[in-house]
Amino acid sequence: MDSTFISNLILASVRMATPLIFLSLAELYSQRAGLVHIGLEGLAAIGSLVGFLVSLITGSPLLGVAAGAAVGILVNMIYAYATINLCAEQIVYGMAINIFAPALASFIYRVYFGAGSELVQVGLMTTLSGLLGISSDNFLVRLLLDQTPMVYLAYGLVIFTAVYFNKTKSGLNYKAVGEYPKAAATLGISVVGVKYAASVICGALAGIGGAYLTTCYSTTYTDGNVAGRGFIALAAVIFGRWSAGGVLLACLFFGFCDALQIRLQVGSYGIPYQFFQMIPYIATVVVLTVIGMKKAGPKGVGKPYLREER
Amino acid sequence: MKKIFALILTLAMVLSLAACGGGNSGSGSGTPSDGAGAPADGGGSSDGKTYKVAMICDSSISDGGWGMACYNAMVDAAAKYGWETEVSDSIAQSAYYESIVAFCDLGYDLIYAPGNQYTTAILQAAEEYPDIAFALLNGGADTPSQAVNGNVTSLLPDAQQVGWIAGILAGLMTETGKVAFIGGMEIDTTKGKYAGFVESAEYVGAQEGKTVEALDVVYSGDFSASDKGIEFAKAMMDQGADVFFGDASAVDSGARQAIDEFNAAAGSVKVYDIAQPGDFLGQNECIIGSQVTDNSGLVGLCMEAVENGTFGGETIFGTMQNGVLSAGKLSDLVPADVQEKYSSYIAQVMDGTFMQ
Repeated sequence: MDSTFISNLILASVRMATPLIFLSLAELYSQRAGLVHIGLEGLAAIGSLVGFLVSLITGSPLLGVAAGAAVGILVNMIYAYATINLCAEQIVYGMAINIFAPALASFIYRVYFGAGSELVQVGLMTTLSGLLGISSDNFLVRLLLDQTPMVYLAYGLVIFTAVYFNKTKSGLNYKAVGEYPKAAATLGISVVGVKYAASVICGALAGIGGAYLTTCYSTTYTDGNVAGRGFIALAAVIFGRWSAGGVLLACLFFGFCDALQIRLQVGSYGIPYQFFQMIPYIATVVVLTVIGMKKAGPKGVGKPYLREER
Repeated sequence: MKKIFALILTLAMVLSLAACGGGNSGSGSGTPSDGAGAPADGGGSSDGKTYKVAMICDSSISDGGWGMACYNAMVDAAAKYGWETEVSDSIAQSAYYESIVAFCDLGYDLIYAPGNQYTTAILQAAEEYPDIAFALLNGGADTPSQAVNGNVTSLLPDAQQVGWIAGILAGLMTETGKVAFIGGMEIDTTKGKYAGFVESAEYVGAQEGKTVEALDVVYSGDFSASDKGIEFAKAMMDQGADVFFGDASAVDSGARQAIDEFNAAAGSVKVYDIAQPGDFLGQNECIIGSQVTDNSGLVGLCMEAVENGTFGGETIFGTMQNGVLSAGKLSDLVPADVQEKYSSYIAQVMDGTFMQ
């Protein structure tokens, strides 16, 4: 295992962790407002398709990302209305989004492109080094500059979220809604307003996470390209103990495991590939077993908020 | 009011899903109910009946690889024989059987499943629907004998020859002496293609005075994750691989993207990809040739057998000798002398003297 292997492994980990960071932050904002959202996979799927389409039509990946965020918000309003206003079961509606949104994405793709099969490819977002005209094989240059603006946005959002939830009054009010909404309401906090804001943020981030896949990572869209990241993001939030920093570490860990299993498969020579494919899942189970003992999540998560209820 | 709104929401989602089902199965020839898809000549079969074929596929038919080529094969064969077509793609493993049965219940005459992975679902459905014909592309040679009603036919392109066609080109073109193969799932046909690819690349390399080594086969675990194709290709290029072949649908498209990016950064095309099973020359800059499988011919044979009432119980092999397998066009990146050598090796495969 030489230095090239390690540096390329780190670069691959960053690439693979970035969509997870967006999705995990989406889940974090949702859960901190008391809304457990298992529908991220669906939101990312529709975000991925719309991001791809808008990028293709306009030639601008940035507009694609914006459109991905917008459609994520739009679809998540179904979940928001059902769970906040109608007090419906959050898990059920999350699962409904997971079934509905990918099917809708598939439908839109087929309507737009027809059944005639042809591989459609789009240009990807330019990296910072590309914008600056820098070309280097130096590891640090590649790590710090050879990334799309979305990568910097992801890490910037992690810092912002950490500060917001821990250092601002608004962030503490937000968390109060997820912990004990009735107490928050007695302090004059609009519980319903915060939950809707959380749904808007969650939808936008999940849509961006999906759009990242087709505007910054892969030039093509295929059904199923989110590939379970929505569920891994759920695990990352628990893994990260519902904190922005923890979520970042969890995403980097999952990204690292996935990158590692791919690189180990390539260099294996005789070891069954299934062994390497198990690594991320074994790591997840081990870590959740070790640190998942104590309940650290918002106390009010998953529970409907009924203002008149005693 | 809230209850009514909840009902409307639920109804909207259910209707959307229903619409998606229809949309997902759209085809070049329309749905059976709309009457589109009748043959251009207004004909259909000689007995006046318009036959219908349905395809199921776990990858997308727009994947730029396997799904796309298999779908086109069905459409081409249907156009020739005047059949109506339908497709349900990107389906999960858990939905194989249900999708097949749904088409059976709709009265389809032929179910076309392009992949070894559908074998169990096909055999189960074939037992329950004895009057429907089931064509399994890349099915096992012994699969038809396992169907109790004798209504299953295996279409079996020779995986070794598929690998040979790509491996010969890889052996001729590699500069580093390292070639790579990306698989989707560890199924018999993929293993056969890999084995053929490795042995022919090594053999041809030795004939040309080179030592050619194939990296260990890698499996993405599915056919949709183009991002894994990107990462596999990057990792394999780090290991020195400079000619790629694959059997992983959209994953192959991801690999080609990574190869194109690598070549763009290098300023010239130094790493190549060989496509399959259609002729995809020009789809990506790195594609220097293709292994082509004329699945439409195989599907057409099934259609003919259904119309004649002779379908089932057989394995139809596809080889270079019977014209099902062939080598696609070569890119200008392949030097003229190498093109000549390639043609010579392909001729050896045709006459059965390759590696003898």
